[in-house]
Amino acid sequence: MPATAASGSQACVVEIRRVRKRFADLIVLDDCSLTAQEGEILTLLGSSGCGKTTLLRCIAGFLKPDAGEIRIDGRDTVPVPVNRRPVGVVFQSYALFPHLTVANNVAYGLKMRGAPVEEIRERVAKALATVSLSGFEERYPSQLSGGQQQRVAIARVLVLEPRVLLLDEPFNALDAKLRGSMQVELRQLIKRLGITAIFVTHDQEEALAMSDRIAVMRAGRIEQLGTPEDIFDRPQTAYVADFVGASNFWEARAASGQITLPSGQIVATKLDGDVSLLIRPHNLALSSAGGSAWNGRIISRRHVGALMEYEVEAGGTRPLRIAALRDVEAASLSTGEAVSINLRDPTACMAYPRP
Amino acid sequence: MRGSDWLDRLGIGALIGVALFSLALLLLPAVIVVIMSFDTRGYISFPPAGFTFDWYARLFNQPVLMGAMWTSIKVGVYVTVLCIALGVPTALACARGDFRGAAGLSVFVLLPHMVPGIVLGVAVLFAGALFGIGPSIWLQSISLAVYVMAVMVRTVMARLQKLDPLLEQAASNLGATRWQSFRTITLPLLMPAILAGAVFTFIEGFDNLSVTIFTHGYRDRPLPVELLTIVQNTNSPLVAAVSSVQILLAILALLAISATIGLDRVND
Amino acid sequence: MTATALPRRLLDEVLSGRGIWPAVPAVVVLTVVAVIPFCILLSLGFSDITVSRGVIVSQTFSLRHLATALSDPLYQITFQRSLTLALSTTALCVLLGFPVAYLFLIGNAWMRRIILVLTIAPILTSGIVRTYSWIVILGGRGVVNSLLIDLGVISAPLRIINTQWAVIIGMVQVHLPIMILPLIAVMSRHDRRLDEASANLGASRLGTLRHVILPLSIGGLGTGAALVFTLSYTTFVVPQLLGGGNYLNAATMIYEQIVYSLEWSKGAVTALLLMLSCLSVLAVITWLTNLGTRWTRASQR
Repeated sequence: MPATAASGSQACVVEIRRVRKRFADLIVLDDCSLTAQEGEILTLLGSSGCGKTTLLRCIAGFLKPDAGEIRIDGRDTVPVPVNRRPVGVVFQSYALFPHLTVANNVAYGLKMRGAPVEEIRERVAKALATVSLSGFEERYPSQLSGGQQQRVAIARVLVLEPRVLLLDEPFNALDAKLRGSMQVELRQLIKRLGITAIFVTHDQEEALAMSDRIAVMRAGRIEQLGTPEDIFDRPQTAYVADFVGASNFWEARAASGQITLPSGQIVATKLDGDVSLLIRPHNLALSSAGGSAWNGRIISRRHVGALMEYEVEAGGTRPLRIAALRDVEAASLSTGEAVSINLRDPTACMAYPRP
Repeated sequence: MRGSDWLDRLGIGALIGVALFSLALLLLPAVIVVIMSFDTRGYISFPPAGFTFDWYARLFNQPVLMGAMWTSIKVGVYVTVLCIALGVPTALACARGDFRGAAGLSVFVLLPHMVPGIVLGVAVLFAGALFGIGPSIWLQSISLAVYVMAVMVRTVMARLQKLDPLLEQAASNLGATRWQSFRTITLPLLMPAILAGAVFTFIEGFDNLSVTIFTHGYRDRPLPVELLTIVQNTNSPLVAAVSSVQILLAILALLAISATIGLDRVND
Repeated sequence: MTATALPRRLLDEVLSGRGIWPAVPAVVVLTVVAVIPFCILLSLGFSDITVSRGVIVSQTFSLRHLATALSDPLYQITFQRSLTLALSTTALCVLLGFPVAYLFLIGNAWMRRIILVLTIAPILTSGIVRTYSWIVILGGRGVVNSLLIDLGVISAPLRIINTQWAVIIGMVQVHLPIMILPLIAVMSRHDRRLDEASANLGASRLGTLRHVILPLSIGGLGTGAALVFTLSYTTFVVPQLLGGGNYLNAATMIYEQIVYSLEWSKGAVTALLLMLSCLSVLAVITWLTNLGTRWTRASQR
């Protein structure tokens, strides 16, 4: 397993050690280990069924791991009942109590702890102000927009000052436009409060945008743990490379530390024999035929925001995806045209052994 | 599907015609009874000859009828209380139980409602006679409760199954104990279903004849039994007045249901 | 954490609803008030009993009453009549009820609300009251006769009440809402896009009705038919009040045997036969419904 990046200097808030969990025959968590530092936003990223939600539910206490330890501030939480854990969960569907007003939803946890009425009122008002929902106290959840509901769900746990905030796909219920602005807003809020947060998502863009560190999970294990830059630029396995960001895998042979591309360009590697070379679409440049020895033909093109993305048949097992900014000449090539391909930066490629 | 256009229109028209006929069939008898209850003559004859509230005044001066009505209200309340006390926890076990035979439990609880009421009434009468327990308002109430408990269990169960289990998890994440989350989250959210169930169990306790006729106490004759006798033996608008009062009661119950769970969810 | 107190844990266990505990009181009551009485009823059908002041004082095994009942022509006639009556009621309720459900499907919010009110209100009204209204309508000086005489169609009142026609009309009207309600449930779940797809593929409205809506309503029809049959087969209010003692069914027979002539053994036998025959017909209805809804189970695989 990859080494944990940058630890030691800050206090470790959550420490997960060799946690296992199985449902009947299915192993959902297999020896998961992970730490979250004070004030950090850590994301569990993976496709559905990878175990990320199960791990989150184990931390919250809704599930009990079969083996392993989950420590919060150094204390083992496995025997601590759900309602005594210093952990706040923001559910995917928010799970707001439909029969309680916004104020009563936020006050709920304090009431359960038997806090004095005056204190409850003050803290609720403060929490609602934090998420800019002052004035919405008497509304019911059904009278709020999706974004507002999410903020109530956050205020509801923040008011209890938890050590750890757990967020289970919190943007799923929002439409695409709102999602982006809520991501920025939520990240700023968490950073301002200095709270430790663990996020669960299947959306790699969201993970890259929100996190200080990302743990990519696969089949109950942590495939790679690192900063967004690590994960995107230096994926340690082909799975991570494929899961995060668009990618081309060029099949080649490595000999004496070198992989030679059809263009004649050389990529350095420590591997030997059959390899898959990860080349991001924006790391390839297109020019009219004759620009290099790596020739191909455009089979399709599509507009992707500010980019023009081509599919180019270039002698590999699968067509290459190549992205060009729309304001450059390379964006005006048409389908069927013969083109030449160049690698922009040979050091930004990663090679993986091919079975 | 090449039926010509006019044939299609004719068919659909006929269908809608039958539907409107059926709706009229459901409505008109009640309207006629209410109209007749204001007739001035001492016997039922259409059309009414005049307008008077006399029969209603007489109705409320009939100690037998008033007593029967009071008995039936009591039975309705007892049945409802029993159904809530026994049925709501049972619905909880049926909807969430993961013990062996959990599926069998819900079938077992719903079974008495499938047996014809008359058979249940006869069986309870005989069993009572074997153990020396005679018919009484209590025997009647508990038999009816057993008979209609299925309605309460089904309504509450349907609501429980639609309840987001995350709500209770959220409550415990916020620090609530099981009892606290049940009292503050689950119970309030079940309330509409319990109230709707209560309307039906009360009406059944108040109106049921098939079970009641074999189990009611001789001194506490409930309204349906009294009504059966009166309808068979008299032909005065007094009966129409009693009926009108019952129709009014049904309308009140209808309003109660539409206020609690909404009419369109009666079936769930 | 220290160990929680026992009562606390017990309460948690009960509230979690995962165990059988919350259901125990209901199970006990159902056993005492339904299961045991039913077993006793069963045993009485095979016994000779002596009743004194409403208490059974002796009970001996005997097949006498069962044998008498099975060979008694009165039983045969009565059960045959009950069956015919209940089956025709069920059929008529299907014929009158389905169009209402269709109207509910195609109707706007207003129409739907009217149909719901007109269907649910009668269910909340006493069966006796609703049967009584037919005495008012069909009686010698009732609505029908008065109208026909006023219109000059007839000169003397027709005798409608106390005939089998009165019983059938009453039966159908009393049980119609029970048929409509499950159909409405099906219709409110019906996906109107299916109808649009059907029309788009060239079906007329009748074609869509016959090939899409009707097949998808079989479950509701089955539920409704089972309910209507059970209730109309075992009611004694309608035959008692509208049949005027001339047109008895099995339920009225039980009522008379037990309440009037105090022949409890006979009553027990009749009740058992009623239940047995009722369950047989229900089994057939369920079987037919299952045939028509095979797709629901196939799709669950």
